[in-house]
Amino acid sequence: MDRALISRGVRRCSPRQFLLWLVPWAALAAFGAYSAGLCLVRGLNQTNMDNRFAFGLWIFLDLTVIALGAGAFFTGFLLYILKRHELKAVINSAVVIGFVCYSGAVVVLMVDVGQPLRAWFTFWHPNVHSMLTEVTFCITCYLTVLAIEYLPILLKNRKIRQVPSFLVFEFELHKVMYVLAGVGTFLSFFHQGSLGGLYGVLRGRPFAFREGFAIWPSTFFLFILSAAAAGPAFILLTTWLVSKISRKRLVKLEVMAELGRISGVLLIVYVLAKAVDTLVWINETAPATGFAAHQFYAWRPFGTWILFAEIVVFGLAPALVLLDEKKRQRTGWLVGAAVLVCSGIGLNRFVLTIQTLALPTLPFDAFLSYTPSWQEVGTFLAVIAYGVLVYSLSFRYLPLFPQERELAEVPRVSGD
Amino acid sequence: MFPGIDGFEWTPGHLIFLGIFYTVVAVVFLTLALAAVRAWRSYRANRAEAIRWQADFHDLPARDRACRHALTGEMRERVCELGFDCRRCETHARLLEERPPAQAPAADTEAGGVRLPLDRLYHRGHTWVRPEKDGTVTVGLDELASRLMGTPDRVRLPKAGRRISVNGTGWRMWKHGSDVRVLSPVDGEVAATGGPEAGWYLKVKPAEGRLDARHLLRPDEAAPWMRRELERVQWTLGHSLADGGVMVQNLSEAVPAEAWDAVCAGVFLQV
Repeated sequence: MDRALISRGVRRCSPRQFLLWLVPWAALAAFGAYSAGLCLVRGLNQTNMDNRFAFGLWIFLDLTVIALGAGAFFTGFLLYILKRHELKAVINSAVVIGFVCYSGAVVVLMVDVGQPLRAWFTFWHPNVHSMLTEVTFCITCYLTVLAIEYLPILLKNRKIRQVPSFLVFEFELHKVMYVLAGVGTFLSFFHQGSLGGLYGVLRGRPFAFREGFAIWPSTFFLFILSAAAAGPAFILLTTWLVSKISRKRLVKLEVMAELGRISGVLLIVYVLAKAVDTLVWINETAPATGFAAHQFYAWRPFGTWILFAEIVVFGLAPALVLLDEKKRQRTGWLVGAAVLVCSGIGLNRFVLTIQTLALPTLPFDAFLSYTPSWQEVGTFLAVIAYGVLVYSLSFRYLPLFPQERELAEVPRVSGD
Repeated sequence: MFPGIDGFEWTPGHLIFLGIFYTVVAVVFLTLALAAVRAWRSYRANRAEAIRWQADFHDLPARDRACRHALTGEMRERVCELGFDCRRCETHARLLEERPPAQAPAADTEAGGVRLPLDRLYHRGHTWVRPEKDGTVTVGLDELASRLMGTPDRVRLPKAGRRISVNGTGWRMWKHGSDVRVLSPVDGEVAATGGPEAGWYLKVKPAEGRLDARHLLRPDEAAPWMRRELERVQWTLGHSLADGGVMVQNLSEAVPAEAWDAVCAGVFLQV
């Protein structure tokens, strides 16, 4: 029925099977839209956040998906600026993932600010000394860049490219893609950093506060490094997942190994930087604010295990795996390490968002606990469902993996 | 914030932050505008067909872009970068000079059960070109493409007088619900049209009055190419015979429905 829309040379499941796959995700998205609608119509009293616990599940989600979506800018940078042509095999998928992650994050932010109709205020009355202003401007610009980068992929649809004007526009747009990749890298560098800097400048939150370089606390640089390391790992993971679900070979193993290598190199640099930062924080920054670092880990469940897990289990261990050339030739090791890297980025963002706000900072403060309301969870799940829906439709109707056609034609010789 | 709002004062912070921000915004939108203007110019200059082939060729798997000299064994593992337009290829010109074409075979050649008549030249998009005495050339589908398409469900041929160009759209055909764009093997003006029942599709007056055939395969070159093409079809179908085998007559009915699009894409160099 929809065969005329599917790229030539690749095979997809029947429309019926595809519809069955979409239905549960669409239902989840509808439930999430209802949850978000309640928050928009009735207000943020639908959430379990308050003035004291102002960042919750949504900010954790935003920070995590923006870090995981960093694969789009970093892959674009490596392909178009550093000319790593082997990454052409995953660039389209990376752009779709980036677009989904950033658009999902922006939608959740619109719900989270409580007054989305006043979102333009930030552009007309920006506080130029605020990290959040920089984040707002950069994310808005970068989402525009991602939408423009997504456009040529959309125009590559088999039916759309039959229209000569669209074909020519797609071709010309592709030729200037290196400019957009450069701009995307610039914007991502700053907003990933500013998201980290946002926590690092919180003098009233000694658990998160860090010294740094000039106006930037160390968390600014750690966020950039960790996002750059997690982005390629997330592309690796999603490529493997899509390959398993669709039961097709999408990219060559050497491309997966290269993504793993890039992630591994950046991750080991991040782990070293994070270790140094933690030591400086334990020995200098935290004591200077009147706290011994171990006091922050006295509140269960946030024990020192979380620090160990963050640096060693989800940092050092996958970095060592990904730096080992032999292990990179095994899909199991690659995927296992990528799962650890992506979980690690989630844990890091969770710690900075939730643990920071939960810990008491004044003598009369209590340790706060927060459980998201069903409306918050619904909105969270809607973003996941939205991502799956957009990616599924893109995978079916757009050429996300240029090597797929070639890999589908691997000869199997039979003598009889 | 901005001038005109009560209490606003420019500070270095404003200048730096807003300067950078608006520069970025300007770069993004100027880049988009540049692409749009270039696209408009290309469209107006009728470059859409050339761009389509350039884009398609760029997206073809590397093994579908093998150089003709690699197929004949003259060179090892060479991939064409010029859209199979050997007229622009320095290596092709040099090789022709060094090793002039061997004498044509005495009789029609054959590869894997596909006949390759001697009186014509072959294009990589599975068309043949036969020079006629009146200075025109006749264009048709080679035997592999003919057996694959059988009797097409529908054919859309260009009108007489229409200009066609090498690797642009020669004509379109539909079969089993899929459309196929057949690449034109020559530059020129369509003089007459035939069809599947006529055994040929187009008669073309070559551009500048003579056929430039440097990009077309001679029958002796066509045989190793055709063997490779048959191999590609088998790979697409998911299996291959160790001895190569012989192609069935009624290929259009033998190809499973789920593989039809992929086989057509491979044979007609479509993306």
